[in-house]
Order: sequence, then structure tokens, then C-alpha cells
Amino acid sequence: MTGNTGNGGNSTGIRVASVDDIPEGEGIAISSDVTGTEDDIAILRDDDGTCWALNDTCTHETASLAEGWVEEGDVECPLHSSRFNLKTGKVDGLPATRDTVPHRVEVRDGEVYLFPGERP
Amino acid sequence: MTVASVVVVGGGVAGVSTVAELRKAGYAGELVLVSADAVPYDRPPLSKEYLAGGRDLESIALQPSQWYAEQEISLVGGAVAVAIRPDTGEVELDDGRLLAADKIVLATGGRAARPAVGAPSHVLRDVTDADRLRTSLVPGARLLIVGAGLIGAEVASTARGLGAEVVLVDPLDPPLAAAVGVEAARWLHGLHADHGVEAVTATVETLLETPTGVAAQLSGEPDSREFDAVLLAVGLVPETGLADAAGLETSRGVLVDAGQVASHPSVLAVGDCARLRDHHRAEHWEAAQLDGVRAAATILGTEPPPAAAPWWWSDRYGLHVEGVGEMRSPDAMHQNVVRGVLGEPPFSVFTLHGERVVGAVAVDDPNAVRAARRMIDRQVDVRASDLADTTQNLRKLL
Ligand SMILES: Cc1cc2nc3c(=O)[nH]c(=O)nc-3n(C[C@H](O)[C@H](O)[C@H](O)COP(=O)(O)OP(=O)(O)OC[C@H]3O[C@@H](n4cnc5c(N)ncnc54)[C@H](O)[C@@H]3O)c2cc1C
Ligand code: FES
Repeated sequence: MTGNTGNGGNSTGIRVASVDDIPEGEGIAISSDVTGTEDDIAILRDDDGTCWALNDTCTHETASLAEGWVEEGDVECPLHSSRFNLKTGKVDGLPATRDTVPHRVEVRDGEVYLFPGERP
Repeated sequence: MTVASVVVVGGGVAGVSTVAELRKAGYAGELVLVSADAVPYDRPPLSKEYLAGGRDLESIALQPSQWYAEQEISLVGGAVAVAIRPDTGEVELDDGRLLAADKIVLATGGRAARPAVGAPSHVLRDVTDADRLRTSLVPGARLLIVGAGLIGAEVASTARGLGAEVVLVDPLDPPLAAAVGVEAARWLHGLHADHGVEAVTATVETLLETPTGVAAQLSGEPDSREFDAVLLAVGLVPETGLADAAGLETSRGVLVDAGQVASHPSVLAVGDCARLRDHHRAEHWEAAQLDGVRAAATILGTEPPPAAAPWWWSDRYGLHVEGVGEMRSPDAMHQNVVRGVLGEPPFSVFTLHGERVVGAVAVDDPNAVRAARRMIDRQVDVRASDLADTTQNLRKLL
């Protein structure tokens, strides 16, 4: 369950970072205290510079996807290399078998805004 | 000839990956997975969280049980294939059933090597082994682990976590030098002593059952030592029985070509039971999974993904170790470059051949290995000084 609390449904989103704080191909984790969701949320920057958001905890065991390797539309888990689609959260590679949850992000004036619980 | 029926024998990661990839690629014919286990499960947790008691069988399933029906895969669980007949396209099960198969995929894995010893001892390959071993891992129990490879080392770590007293014996000093390079191997092996495991460089000369346990005579020691339990973690014997009986070529594995095809054109072999002619078997999880991807492509006549440098992980004492490619000892052609400080995780070590990375190993630095893997596969030229410079983003070197 990724329910929204305080900030959920917020039309402007939560400002979570500057794009320049996230190197291409990497990610940062935003604490559930900020997002109001059950899990932390990983903001992941693809190698083409676009930003995406997924639940941070890998569905296989307990790794943080924000520490993963982001490339060509996928994030690769830092523990056993399951891959998740940045846009849909779908598993693109074993050992994970359960999809994860994507969230909407928007970049305005170089700032990243997160919409927890909203589909991209 | 189009393929209308495929039978995969063995429900480890190689077999499950084969059936998954066949369906993913649009194969619509009959697809049967014969699995000695009721529901196929994953093996890496057996020396880690499962052994520690932190995970149960359901949580280590390779796929949720309903997945097989959703994918229209006939999972024949709890069944053993007793013969394959490639000429007539048949697989015979232990209950006498005959399955029709245009293609047969052997994914039978292997057994833990069990040298003849004169005392009861554990091995670790399946959940039954793990359940049995766990009953021996109680606080204060004296455990002898024979073999300090990846599995022996993982069990030492898990057993310490459960409060057992562990002696870990291996004739090599340090063990695993071929896999991780001698410098990292020495440091990793040293972790055992830091965590209260007595690591002994010796061979086991005799193991004898005593009224209270097992007496082990280690080479170079005047007296034998008493243990409550013994684990033999000395390697894998590939399961080639079905192939041998069918007259296929085997030699430390079912011999296959680059498309996983065995010496009979209707038979493929994947994972730990197979060996690519003139190569060593990887015996790692991802290699088995990728064999399945290749086998599916071969069956469907599509282009298999390009070969990739072999990758593995292992965990001990809360540290995550990964390796890729081939680590070498420094010589005229090779140098080893440390990124960070060896022994202070996160750090990594790269083997360079000229300006090409051929192998890397990392402790708590998985993205160094992910970068190395791409450097190897894409044949990127790099400088040793750039690899060693931790302010340098490795992705920028790709
Ligand atoms: C304890 C342990 C820990 C490991 N940890 C790691 C790790 O951390 N990282 C890593 O990279 N690798 C690890 N590995 C290695 C990895 O798990 C193996 O390489 C992988 O399981 C090989 O998969 P496979 O499908 O080829 O064989 P297996 O997993 O052995 O599966 C073969 C299956 O076929 C079944 N079978 C055999 N014969 C028949 C028959 N005639 N009929 C029906 N079924 C049959 C067997 O019962 C078995 O279930 C570990 C292995 C073990 C044992
Ligand atoms: S924890 Fe992510 S793949 Fe295992």
C-alpha cells in the first residue's frame, strides 16, 4: 500500500532535490517521513538525464534501489541485480518476481518534484 | 521443424529461467517443467538467511506458485525424470509417465561432493540439507567446516550468528585466491578470525564417529579434535546421469556448444549440470540463469544475447562481496589496482591486462563491479590511475 497522507494529491508535489544533485545513472532515497508513504521512495536519474521514482526497497530482499545502477530505462538492484523498469516498476530481470510501485515526478526549473502515490 | 513440445528437467534457476524465457519470447507450444521439488526454490539463501532461520521455503520460491499456471507451464512437481530418449522425443518419469518432447532441456544441477569419510557429515545443496544442518547450529555446538570456499565461508558466518563454535579448515592459504585475487582473498579469509572462527590451514586426514560426535584428525596436529557436527563444503558434482545413460557426451558436465546444445541436436543443457566445451563451469547463479536465456533463444531460432563476463555475489559477516570476470595474480601482463583501501569497505580491486579490465571484486561496493562488468563486456580502455581514484566516477570511464 502506498497511501498518501499530508502531501498526497498535492497538485504541486513535494520538492525533493535539485536535478544537479543526482548524477546521471544514480539515485537518491527520500525518507518515508517526507513522502508519507509506507516505503521510502528512490528518485532515479536515467543516463539520458530523465528522473523517475520507484519504491526504494527492492521487492526481492531489502536493498535500496537508490543505491542501484540506472541505465537505459532500468534500475539494477545493488544486491542481486534484479532490474526494474523506471517508468512502470515492472521486473525486467530475476531474481525479483514482484513488480514495484512507480510514482510521478516532475522537473521544473531544475528542481525535482515528487507526487507520492500518483502514477507517472 | 517447428518445436511443438519442450520438456525441461530440473527446477533450479536454470530450468525456471528456460521456461520463463521461452514464454517471454512468445513460444506457444507445450511446455513442461519436471521438478524434483514441489515448488522450485532458490539456492543462495540456503547458506544465508534460510539457514539462519530468517526466511521460509515460500519466501525463497523462484516464482510464486500460481505463476506456472498463469504462464501455461505444466509444473510436474515432486517428480523425477528417470530417462530421456532424444531419438524418439521422450522423457520418462519415475511414476512411469512418458512425456513427448521435441526438445529436452537438462537443468539437473548437481550434488554436493561427498568424499568418503568414516563419520556422519552434512553437505549443503538443498532445503533438506539446510534444515538438517540448522538443527546442529545451536549455541555452543562445535562445528567443523571442511572447505573455505564461498559456501563454507557463508556457513561459517551464519553458524557464528547462531552461536556455534566454528573451526574452518582448508588446505589453501588463502582460499578463493583464484576467484578474488590473492590480496582480497587474504583479507576476506582473515574476517573469520575477527569473528571468532578458528581458520586452520590443513587437510582433514580422518573423520571418525565417536560416542559423542566426530573426531577429526587435521594434518600437522598431534591430536584429533572433537566436534558435534561436520559440514563438507568441498564442491559440486554435476548431475549428468540422464545424459550419460542416453549416450550423450559428458565430461565434468554435459558438454554443450555456445547455444547450450548437447551432442544430440534435440537435447540442450543449462546451469550447473552443463559445461561449455573447453571452458570451466561458472557454478554461479547468474550463469545458470543466462544459460536458460540462451537455451530459449536456441530453441526458438532467435539470436541469443551476447556472452557477458561471469558475475557472482556472496555474503559473509554482513559484508556483500561481488566479483566479475577473472581476477589474476600480478605478472608481466597483469596488474591489480585497488580502489579505496583494501580492507576498509567499501573497496574494490580490478585486474587490468594492459588497458583492459579483465576482472574485478568488490566488498560493499557493488556499483564498482557493475562498472567493471561493462568495461569488460564493452572492451573499454581505462587507465589504472583513473580506476584507483575514488573521486573519479567510474561510469564516466565507460
Ligand atoms: C548453499 C548455496 C549457496 C549459493 N549461494 C550463491 C550466491 O550467493 N551467489 C551465486 O551467484 N551463486 C550461489 N550459489 C550457486 C547457485 O545457486 C547455483 O549455481 C544454481 O543454483 C545453479 O542452478 P541450476 O538450476 O543449474 O541447478 P540447481 O539449482 O541445482 O537445480 C537443479 C534442480 O534439478 C533437480 N533435478 C535433478 N535431477 C532431476 C531429475 N532427474 N528429475 C527432476 N528434477 C531433477 C534438482 O533436484 C534441483 O532442484 C549457491 C549454491 C548453493 C548450493
Ligand atoms: S535484494 Fe534486490 S535483487 Fe535481491
